[in-house]
Amino acid sequence: MRGKLTIGVFAAFVASVLLGTADLSGQASGGRAPVKATGGPRTPDGHPDFQGVYDLATLTPLERPEALGTSLTMTTEQARKLEQQVASRRDVLNRPSDANRGAPPIGGDGSPGAAGNVGGYNNFWIDNGDAYFSIEGQKRTSIIVDPPNGRMPELLASARARNAARLIQTTSDASEDEHDPGLEKGAGAYDDSERRPLGERCLIGFGSTSGPPALPVLYNNLHQIVQTKDTIVIMNEMVHDARVIRMNAQHLPPTVRKWMGDSVGRWEGDTLVVDTTNFTDKTRFRGSSDQLHIVERFSRLDDKTLLYRFTVEDPSTWARPWTGEYTWPKTDQLLYEYACHEANYALEYILRGARQRDRERSTGRPGNR
Amino acid sequence: MQHWLRTVGIAAVGAAIAASLSWISTPVSGQGSTYKAPRAIGTPNPDLNGIWQALNTANYDLQTHIARPAMALRPGPYGPVPAAPVLALGAVGAAPGGLGVVDGDEIPYKPEALAKKKKNQEEWLTSDPEIKCYLPGLPRATYMPFPFQILQSSRAIFFAYEYAGATRNIYLKDPGPPPVDSWMGQSVGRWEGDTLVIETRGFNDQTWFDRSGNHHSEQLQVVERFTRTAPDHMQYEATITDPQVFTRPWKISMPLYRRIERNAQLMEFKCVEFVEELMYGMYRKNPLPR
Amino acid sequence: MRRTRFVLAMGTALVLSFGASMRAHHAFGGEFDANRPVLLKGAITKVEWVNPHAWIHMAVKEVTIAGQKQTPKPGETWAVEGGTPNTLLRRGINRDTVKIGTEIVVDGYQTRDHTLTRANGRNITFLDGRKLFMGSSGTGAPRDGADATEPPK
Repeated sequence: MRGKLTIGVFAAFVASVLLGTADLSGQASGGRAPVKATGGPRTPDGHPDFQGVYDLATLTPLERPEALGTSLTMTTEQARKLEQQVASRRDVLNRPSDANRGAPPIGGDGSPGAAGNVGGYNNFWIDNGDAYFSIEGQKRTSIIVDPPNGRMPELLASARARNAARLIQTTSDASEDEHDPGLEKGAGAYDDSERRPLGERCLIGFGSTSGPPALPVLYNNLHQIVQTKDTIVIMNEMVHDARVIRMNAQHLPPTVRKWMGDSVGRWEGDTLVVDTTNFTDKTRFRGSSDQLHIVERFSRLDDKTLLYRFTVEDPSTWARPWTGEYTWPKTDQLLYEYACHEANYALEYILRGARQRDRERSTGRPGNR
Repeated sequence: MQHWLRTVGIAAVGAAIAASLSWISTPVSGQGSTYKAPRAIGTPNPDLNGIWQALNTANYDLQTHIARPAMALRPGPYGPVPAAPVLALGAVGAAPGGLGVVDGDEIPYKPEALAKKKKNQEEWLTSDPEIKCYLPGLPRATYMPFPFQILQSSRAIFFAYEYAGATRNIYLKDPGPPPVDSWMGQSVGRWEGDTLVIETRGFNDQTWFDRSGNHHSEQLQVVERFTRTAPDHMQYEATITDPQVFTRPWKISMPLYRRIERNAQLMEFKCVEFVEELMYGMYRKNPLPR
Repeated sequence: MRRTRFVLAMGTALVLSFGASMRAHHAFGGEFDANRPVLLKGAITKVEWVNPHAWIHMAVKEVTIAGQKQTPKPGETWAVEGGTPNTLLRRGINRDTVKIGTEIVVDGYQTRDHTLTRANGRNITFLDGRKLFMGSSGTGAPRDGADATEPPK
């Protein structure tokens, strides 16, 4: 009975969305923002005090899964079911393994994605959230709020061509073994360290964890804000990256490029607005160019939660800007040092592995001794 | 009685003159500075916010040193000459001279640790963690030839270093023993009057104190003292304790200078990408000649 | 157990998103060789609590590679790659939690460079099968049938 009522309410909401009677806050420049708390601590110079450590982990993905259509929210009941699924799965996986197990199968264990057919590692290393985040009591199905379907806009055809052209290396020969599901297929993907993802090179954290825009990732979603009158720092655990935001300042000239761009900030009432440009042409957030421009807006939802809203634009990559928002809940947990380059065995082994494959191909001999 | 007072009076004046003369001849130090820095807004503490930089050659060698042809040397027919890998740098690779920053100009090594220092020096080019752009540790991060920024709010103190993008959050409440070792250690800060005192422990043994092979173990503890002595000067002292390596604690000190350009800011020097050719170039599909 | 299609769809999407978010993370498939599964049994000699991946070193008593049981050389050690220590530190684990000499069983895959005695710590357990750091097994949903407690596909 309760389930039927919930579905009914949900259906009504979906209907109201389709009829346009529900505002999904889709506009890039603001739209209807959630009601902000006016109380809360302030810094001595009178601005809201956002300082502290935040854990951004959430089950809500950046993009809404296809199955959900256009609904930005789901009911608490629906979210709870999904959250329980995740919790149950983790409980099952917590159980002991067979003490007499053998090695996994030759040819791989079928694990998809970057687990690379070799199963990655144990799940106890992962920390990516227990719940979908809520805004104004409504569970969100995606971080992206605009476009209204909760998905990034398509890349421009010219952007796709540009990105494909970046991968061509004249010194590279055939692409990796088509039959090896663990390998990336692009030609030359393992030719040089510069071809590897920035996270794998320990240049910046993977998955846009620092951004901007900062996004939740598989683990280490802790970020610390330190706030002074002239400078605000967002310290990102991975890769010990401090984004230094110069308040009321001008952007650097276009010749100066930074991995996380150049950020300047200002207050609009009780909202901190951070404007970032001057990205390198290798940062390439979601396939973008060095023309990437991010605007972030931080405001207080309640005493323990910030609302983090961001707009992404790059006219040479997307035909229109897109916007996302999610919550940054405070945590008592501590950030720990994430020195990455200092022990980056993996990058060396990945490249050595590729050179092994090259030797195998050239000698025609399988395996190596 | 009058005669006695006059003698005392003359002696007192004499002492005062002597004291003032010795004050003039003493190198400028934080002790005895009467400068009272403006307060950080909303706090009773001096404002350390700003971009600061050391201006000395401590990163070459903490102790007094004269200029030399290069940091990596080999025997030549008339004395050391630059080693082959650095020869092409010419004068750019030469090391400048400088007076030491160590109290007493002596680093009190245990004998086996001194031997390790010498070995470090011989293997500098392959052993100095600075070559691979590893995090610099303390106190080296302070006197790398790059600026750093101190952010001090009413609730937090944070250091952002230009070199390698190193960072340090200074805990104002001790979180307890560090659970694992780290390159920059775990820092806890407090105020002693107008001096910021930072105690750091939980270091790994991987960093050096300079390019001259001065090293430490995981037992290293560093106590730093930051004191503003003038609008654009700060006195910096660091006491180093490591019972595994040194026979006693020892101290370095140096002034720090504020970067006063109107648009002073940290530039990006991640430097990881600069050493990829060195570290991974041999694993390219088509390696460049080395 | 009856589930709405909505919930099932989100669940599937959830599993897929794990894979997608790991894509930008680290090329396991490029580092390790799916044709070289290993089973290692031995005692921990060292834990490198480092990022981006912790490494657990072990003196091996039993080594099976690609189905062949090998005789370990005297003093042979293997190192297995784990995840980020920081997650564990926030759960109260520290350098003293796991003692040197602790007996472990590791199943995983050797590095593609076979000159290295290194593997991914696909599943690191105590001798009795309990997970080393009290966690779950198998990101990427291993379905090799080795773990009887895994739900069938």
